Amino acid sequence: MQTHPVLALDGVTLQAGTGNKTIELLRDISFTVERGRTLGLVGESGAGKSMIGRLISGLLPPSFQVAAGRLLFDGADLTGQSAAARRALLGRRIAFVPQEPLSALNPVLSIGRQFAEHLARLGVPDRQRQDRAAEWLAAVHLPEPRAMLRRYPHELSGGQCQRVLIAMAFSSEPSLIVADEPTTALDVITQARIMQLLKEQQALHGAAVVLITHDLHLAAQVCDEVGVMYAGDMVERGPASAVLRAPFHPYTRSLRNSVPALDGPRRILPALPDQMPGVMALAGLGGCRFAPRCPSRDTACAGALPPWHEVGPAHRVRCADACLGADFPPAADVPDGLIRLPSEAPAVLELCDVSLHYAGRRGLFGRPAATIAAVHEVSLTVGPGEFVGLVGESGSGKSSVARLVMGLERPTSGRLLLEGHDPLTADQPLLRALREHVQIVFQDPQSALNPRRNVFSLVTQALEVSGHRVDRPERRRQARRLIEETGLPADCLPRVPSQLSGGQKQRVNIARALCVTPRLLVADEIVSGLDVSVQAQILNLLLRLGRELGISLLFISHDLAVVRYLCSRVAVMYRGRIVETGDTEEVFANPRHAYTRSLLEAVPSNRPPVDLAG
Amino acid sequence: MSGWQSALRAGKVQVGLGLLIILLLVALLAPVLAPHDPREQDILNTLTPPAWDAEGSAEYPMGTDSLGRCILSQVIYGSRTALTVAFAAATGSMLLGCLLALVAGYLGGKTDWLVTRMVDLWMSFPPVVLSLLLMVGLGTGVRNVVLAIVLVDWTRFCRVVRSDVIVTRRRDYVTAARLLGFSHLRTIIREILPAAAPLMITMFSLEMGIAVIVEATLSFVGLSVGADVPAWGVMIADGRGYVHQAPWAMIAPMIAIFAAILAFNLLGDGLRSALDPRLRTSRI
Amino acid sequence: MLRLVLEVVGRRLLTALPMIVLVSIVVFVILRAIPVDPVAMLLPPGATAEDAAALRAAFGLDLPLPVQYWIWLKHAAMGDLGQSIFFRESVGGLLARAFPATMELSLVSLALALVFSVPGGLLCYAQNTRLGRMLADLGIVTSLSVPSFLWAIFFILLVGVAFPILPFTGRISGDTMLPNITGFLLIDLLITGRLHDWGDAALHLLLPSLSLALSFAPSVIRVLRSSLMDAAHDDYVTYARQRGVGEGRVLVHHMFRNAALPTITLIGVQFGFLFGGTLLVELIFSFPGLGNLMVQAVRNHDMPLIQGAALVFCIVVLLTNAFVDALYVVLNPRLARRA
Repeated sequence: MQTHPVLALDGVTLQAGTGNKTIELLRDISFTVERGRTLGLVGESGAGKSMIGRLISGLLPPSFQVAAGRLLFDGADLTGQSAAARRALLGRRIAFVPQEPLSALNPVLSIGRQFAEHLARLGVPDRQRQDRAAEWLAAVHLPEPRAMLRRYPHELSGGQCQRVLIAMAFSSEPSLIVADEPTTALDVITQARIMQLLKEQQALHGAAVVLITHDLHLAAQVCDEVGVMYAGDMVERGPASAVLRAPFHPYTRSLRNSVPALDGPRRILPALPDQMPGVMALAGLGGCRFAPRCPSRDTACAGALPPWHEVGPAHRVRCADACLGADFPPAADVPDGLIRLPSEAPAVLELCDVSLHYAGRRGLFGRPAATIAAVHEVSLTVGPGEFVGLVGESGSGKSSVARLVMGLERPTSGRLLLEGHDPLTADQPLLRALREHVQIVFQDPQSALNPRRNVFSLVTQALEVSGHRVDRPERRRQARRLIEETGLPADCLPRVPSQLSGGQKQRVNIARALCVTPRLLVADEIVSGLDVSVQAQILNLLLRLGRELGISLLFISHDLAVVRYLCSRVAVMYRGRIVETGDTEEVFANPRHAYTRSLLEAVPSNRPPVDLAG
Repeated sequence: MSGWQSALRAGKVQVGLGLLIILLLVALLAPVLAPHDPREQDILNTLTPPAWDAEGSAEYPMGTDSLGRCILSQVIYGSRTALTVAFAAATGSMLLGCLLALVAGYLGGKTDWLVTRMVDLWMSFPPVVLSLLLMVGLGTGVRNVVLAIVLVDWTRFCRVVRSDVIVTRRRDYVTAARLLGFSHLRTIIREILPAAAPLMITMFSLEMGIAVIVEATLSFVGLSVGADVPAWGVMIADGRGYVHQAPWAMIAPMIAIFAAILAFNLLGDGLRSALDPRLRTSRI
Repeated sequence: MLRLVLEVVGRRLLTALPMIVLVSIVVFVILRAIPVDPVAMLLPPGATAEDAAALRAAFGLDLPLPVQYWIWLKHAAMGDLGQSIFFRESVGGLLARAFPATMELSLVSLALALVFSVPGGLLCYAQNTRLGRMLADLGIVTSLSVPSFLWAIFFILLVGVAFPILPFTGRISGDTMLPNITGFLLIDLLITGRLHDWGDAALHLLLPSLSLALSFAPSVIRVLRSSLMDAAHDDYVTYARQRGVGEGRVLVHHMFRNAALPTITLIGVQFGFLFGGTLLVELIFSFPGLGNLMVQAVRNHDMPLIQGAALVFCIVVLLTNAFVDALYVVLNPRLARRA
């Protein structure tokens, strides 16, 4: 029997033609995946990694074409193949595990019907389909598979949906599985379990897996090999452990180094300037596309696509020669004085046994209304200049705490003090002052910024309120101060949010909150939607603001490493309660509550690597 | 704003505007354009066929009706009635509907409940039936037609704009404005109203088309602007009586009605896709 | 499932009851503003003021408004909607005779509209050339601009007058004796086995229902198309394709099932337009239904009849909404399990 790699890309260049302008979405991509092996494609959003997935599926818009190279599946070139022939492979020999498990299943069809549809296509006779589907659901450890088949997607959790989808993917015993960010939409603990399941099924059926992910640590842990993507190029490729341990390309290094760690010394994150160019900006970019952001670029980078260099066993990097020798200066430790310890002054925020209960939805015929405790007897203080982290999964009640602090909800019981005053009993002028001293930075900049206001109007919005109104030149001066403080380019004032990048939007969001010089910022998951290099920029900005303005921060996040980087104290929330609180280093080093432990264990870089031989 | 510029460049908007401008000119220049007084009866020339017919005469380019009135002149003057009613009724129902929608959608709670129930109650009347009832109650006349249409069609604006306001209200930037110390009124005017404006303008255009239909319908039944005001619906209703002898008498007002509605629909549809491509058709 | 449907319909009917009472109050109040004395035209020439007063008293029109309403409501609750002033006949009887005709017309129109709009929506969605999309777009906007009464007149001119091939007055030719079992002519004639007359009745129904259907279909087509466009971007569609499901099956089995939901909502909301549209169409085709009756009542200021007819229109709309709600819940598992 001839042995081909299951999948081999050989110098694939993908072009999108719009009139006379063509954009190279993928440039000269080559890699192979053998049976039973896992390749990780790593990069930030827009790097072109999902484009490879779409290329394999053949589901590309008609204006996209492969301009060069071959796409070999089991030795046969797929590029010239008809759509029908490609479709015949999909779901049978090539299976996909999608990114958003909850929306990847049709909401109006039961799990059983969708599974049966798939089995029907695989040629399973009608009467056997339910049994076979149930067997498969049992194989992915779903409880009560028969009952599961009768249910609809909205009745399942994200993790359960992903199990169903993994079961469907493996049910045809495919040679190749393409998993596109299969765990991104899930909670940390579920993420770990799903990855384990994927590996387990792979070991059982021996398929080749292409794992597309933004998480270098995750890729390093579960993959045999990784390829790092940047703006349509593969910049580095090699054995997973080697790439993570000794990355060569400046981009891979920054990708690794801009993620805060859960252990070891705390170092200032080296943040690359700017952001990866968007698809439309690729047209004018010849040569090395990373060069504009590269700390060690030189004239050679601008010419042609850099050649591959062998830097270790099977470890190759695509970079101009000059870069290869260069090294980043080692990152500085976070200076001691940077994170302030609570002082003697009164706390800017104090919560004493605060609860927030909602009346539950009433049943159809007056079934008793249960109250839902979104927040239950939470106590928390934030001192002046202190950064406090509030950690938990979605639905743990951490956003409700933010709403309570902001006065958007009234506590059902307990006491909430702002700078030592109870806002519920404060008189109007005091209340206004208290409210102004607490500002929020919202999670989703898309929703937090009025799309019809420009940056100037957004960052100085607070000056439209009576009592703060100033004349136009003063407002301009304020706007310039704010964009300088938050590191926005000087020419962005007349732009509207849709003309800004994700990181810039989040900076505007922060600038707006800083306008009336608050004492406390409440930041609710403000970096969760950002790519790691931009995340590092924003985190460093927050640290600088704390240092320069003495602002306190209540930082709400699900990401433990980010909380460790920013905050001196942490509170862990689980089902509306704070289950553990204390000094960040102490809590993360010696977690006492079981939930904190499972959170920490689920983080990819903190787990013992999955057996790669699998 | 770039949205408005791209709207003006959209083909549908241009054609719709063009048609509308022609209609407006016809209405404004009616005394100049019309060969006759639309009410003038020529007893000797009843049911004259149009000019291109062998028996037609150049004096009545589109022929005459059973009372010997010039059909072309009636159609020309009818555009005044149609456009007046369309513009006034659409303005009225937009103001009433959007005001209630903003209040209900922004305040929520009991106010919202009450307004929603009102809309539900109104929506359980077929619009034609309700406007007919109102005309019975109010009596004929241009002002009453406008009033009747406003009282029927405010619900269209209210229903759609309210759900839009609710979507906007949930956006964080509205909460942010409140947290910065904006008053309710200021929040509505600066943050919520601009978001609803494209929708309101689109609906305004479509509503003008609907007003033309309702006016024609009411005229047809004989409960509209009154006996001596030329109206397209009345012409069709009259023409129905002698459809075998003079089928042409109905064609001109039919084309007029169609052209007016088409102009408003093209304009509205074009604005909708240009101002907000994500706008769902189902909501209108 | 059946229990669920009954539950939803039952709940809607419960909320519809107070709505019907409110509707009747609105109707009552509007009609009392009437500037014309309804009894005036019934009086013989030269009648005295006393005669008029006596007649008014006979109809109960001299009592205060709330009392009049209360009396009317009491009677209405027992099924007595009063006497028509013009026809001198019970309103209930008049409505009962006219109602099936209108119902038959609207249901046939709705069915026809669906026959046009489901393939129409799919066809408009499937346009993948610039020209095709533009034509579909233009076709929809143009046909949206033709109200049902214009279609009605157009058909009369075209196939009634210019090429007289189809009948355009009444429900059936000449003085054919009508059976009266359900009042729905197509059903009655089928039951009694009079197939020739059935064909005749169907032909009479064709033009009016076509007029209504053609004015209703474009809005359904438009919603269906845009819902399909929305669905096309949904993840489950992409995933179905990645699983190798064929395009046709993706469209019908996955996208259409989802796109049908907003379409059904629209049909529920817009049914009032179609149903109200019967008014003018019936008038144009001299179709002996509710609409025609209502127009006559309006022309004669026959208040009890106007009131009764308006109420029947509203009740039908409310019932339709209840039915559409139930349908929506049945087809949408996200609601079905919660209810």
